[in-house]
Parts: sequence; C-alpha cells; structure tokens
Amino acid sequence: MIHMALSTLGRLFTRSKSVDMPWPSLVMWCVGMVLEFLLLLRGFRGKTLARYPFFYAYIACALADDVSGYMQYWFKGWASYVKWFWLGEFLALIVGCGIILEVFRCVLSPYRGAERFARIAGFATFVVISTFALIYPHVMPASSHRGTMFELERDLRTVQAIFLVGLFGVIRYYGIPIGKNMRGMILGYGLNVAALLVGLTIRSYAGVPLPGTWNVIMQQASYGAAVLIWTTSLWSYHPNPVPDSSVRLEGDYEAFAARTRSTIGALRSHLARVAQP
Amino acid sequence: MIDLILFLLVGALLLLSLLFFTPGKPKGRKDAKPLAEVQQALDVLQFGLLSPDMVGRIFVKKDFDYVMSETTGEVQRLFLAERRRLALAWVEQVHRQIVSLRRFHLGSARFYSRLRFLTELRLAWDFATVLFTCRALRAAVYLRGPYAAPRLVGATTAAAARVCGVSEKYLDFLRPARMMSFGDDSAGGSVE
Repeated sequence: MIHMALSTLGRLFTRSKSVDMPWPSLVMWCVGMVLEFLLLLRGFRGKTLARYPFFYAYIACALADDVSGYMQYWFKGWASYVKWFWLGEFLALIVGCGIILEVFRCVLSPYRGAERFARIAGFATFVVISTFALIYPHVMPASSHRGTMFELERDLRTVQAIFLVGLFGVIRYYGIPIGKNMRGMILGYGLNVAALLVGLTIRSYAGVPLPGTWNVIMQQASYGAAVLIWTTSLWSYHPNPVPDSSVRLEGDYEAFAARTRSTIGALRSHLARVAQP
Repeated sequence: MIDLILFLLVGALLLLSLLFFTPGKPKGRKDAKPLAEVQQALDVLQFGLLSPDMVGRIFVKKDFDYVMSETTGEVQRLFLAERRRLALAWVEQVHRQIVSLRRFHLGSARFYSRLRFLTELRLAWDFATVLFTCRALRAAVYLRGPYAAPRLVGATTAAAARVCGVSEKYLDFLRPARMMSFGDDSAGGSVE
C-alpha cells in the first residue's frame, strides 16, 4: 500500500509540528489511487472482475483505504491519519491473502496433484503462523503498542513471503504454465510483499523514519510498480494455458496399442509355426 | 542483527524467486513424456547404464592396472583419454535418462489428486541428489580422470537406482489396468 509510506510514530509527530508528507510521496499516493481506480474500471469493462473476484476485492479495499486515509490526512491532519493507518494495513494484509487464493483457484486447480502439494505446504505454513501468534506475546514483551504492531506486521509478512516462495516453487517445480493475467498478479503482489518486508525490517531495526526517507520511498515505488504491473497485465483477459494431459495420454494409448498388436502378431506367428507339422 | 539478516534474506529470497516469473512468455512447461519413452529410459538405466558389469568395466581400475603394467606410456595416455571420454559419456547418459524420468514424473504427478506430500518431497530430494552427484562426478572425471572419485560413482549409482525403483513403481501404477482412469479422481491407490 502506498499509504504504508506514511506510517511514522504518530504520537511524536503532529500536523502542528509541520511533519507533512513530501511532495513525491503525495504524488505517488495520488498516482496509486488513480491506477487502482483504472484497474477496477478495466476489470469491470473487460469482465475480468468476475473472473478474479478475490484480486479485485483486494484492489477495491486498497482504493477505499487510500481514499479514506487521504481524506483523513487532508482534513484532520497527520495524527488522525496515523490512527487510521493500522486498521487499513491489517485489512490489506488479510484481504491480500485473497490473491494467494486466486492463484490457487486459477493456476493450480486444473493440476490436482500440484494443488494438493501446495495446499499441504500452505497448511504447514498456517500452523507455523498460528504457533508464532500464540508464542509471540509471551516471548517478546510489548515495549510499545507501535513497536509491537510493526514487528507483528513484519512477522506476518515474513510468513506470507515464505508461503509465496513455496507457492512459486511448486509452480516452477511442476512446470505449470501461467497466463499473462496470473503472471502479472503474482509478480505485482510478490514485489509488493518483498518490498514491504524489507522496509518493515529496516524500520524495526533502525527506528521509525520520517516520511520521505529512502526505504519509505522504496516501498511507495514498489507498490506503484505493482499497481502498474497489475494494470498492464490485467488490461484484458488472458486465460491460463489449458493442461494437455489428454494429448499425452492419447499418445500413450497409441504406444500401448502398438505394443499389444506387435505382441499378438508375434504370438500368432509362433502359434502358426507350432501348428505346422 | 541476526533477525535483521534473516528477515532481509527472506525478502531477498522472495525477490529472487520472482525472477523466475519475469520472462514474458509462459516458461518451464513440463509436458509428460509418453509412457513408452519413459519405460525405455528406465530400461536403459536399469539394464544398461547402472548394471554392475558396465559400471565396473568403466570405473574399476582392473583394466587400468593391466594397461599400466603391460604397455608403453603412449598407450597408457591413450587408454586414459579414451576411458575418460567413456566415463563422461556414461555420466552424461545417466543424467539425461534421470532428467527424462523426472520430467515424466512431474508431468503426470501434477495431475494426480492423491499425491503424497512426503513421498513427493523424498522423490524431489532423490532427483536433486542424483542430478547433483552426476554434475559433481562429471567435474571430477573431467578434472582428475575416470578413477578419481570411486565413492562418487557409488553414490551416483545408488541414488540413480533409488530413483529408478520409485519410477518403476510409479510406472506399474500407471500401467494398463489403471490407464483408463488416469486423469480423473477415481484412480485409486497411491505411489509410495
């Protein structure tokens, strides 16, 4: 999310202290909203919206969050926006899982073996997430509300990143062909998660930066790049290549039939020789 | 500091894995080979390349010792060069047939709804091991001659035989009786 770039320590900064967003951040935020709107519009007009409902739900959520966050920032100031920020961030994290569901539904569902493999691997990851969520509060004392939220998001994004790497690995390992739409969806979301993870890690380690520092700009740029990738790759509908298992089985059947025919021929000639006096 | 490195590594890993998706056209397509071709690959491995006679003939030093004791330096050099070429050809063939088996396995297992997670993991490990040892053996033979790494030969042969065993079971499973039901959910049983 572009507005991710705006997250700073709200209790330290208020509008009256002149901590306003630098103009590149504002521009990227606005461009992001325009692209999100364009993406939704194209999805509606190109009828891809009905084909990828989870993905477009994520985009709609992101747009609603961006618009409402922008209004908060503009009319009520920075401090008010920061309160708004975490709600939107975790909502995006949860709805973002819909993109992974979309990949399962559209890419893996024709390949039931690969889907099963990915599902079990995903379940294992889910167990790790649950275990982590249970253990985390006991292991790490919450020094501050803000720090805990940062670290929790970083950890959840890490699990999401691991899950995505596993998913990409399964797709790659089983050589599953992917259409332009899904390729763009995966690339954009993967890029966004990776940039978020790196940014959150650096923030957690080095302290929370003011808006406009390099890692914030990097996250904004990566989300902008992700929305751009989505807009171009989902401009029109490109279905995934259809698996051709039937063609291969036809070939196998022919080979087996030929082998059986030759065996029967050999038997017949053998029998003929035996039958001759 | 360690957690910083770990988290950054995960991020970098994700970015690296994205690189596999960057080519513009669909890539990495693994259409399964026909069963007959795979059976042929399996036969070549089991009854030809991996047979103890052939492995022994190429990699055991008996011939080498004989040549060393009975012939001149020129003949010895010629023998070593030929034997190295032969060993490299053997490794190349084993590698090729294993790749063929893996391609077949992945091409058909991806459709199989009752695939076993742990079996697949083990098989993936076996394939990776045998292909890695093939590469290592090729490097060893190329650099130090056919008799440089007898343990590596043993490891390659054992790993390849293990993969062949699993592939054979898989082929038996797919063959005639179940052939007609392959591709839909009704295919019972599983490959262990």
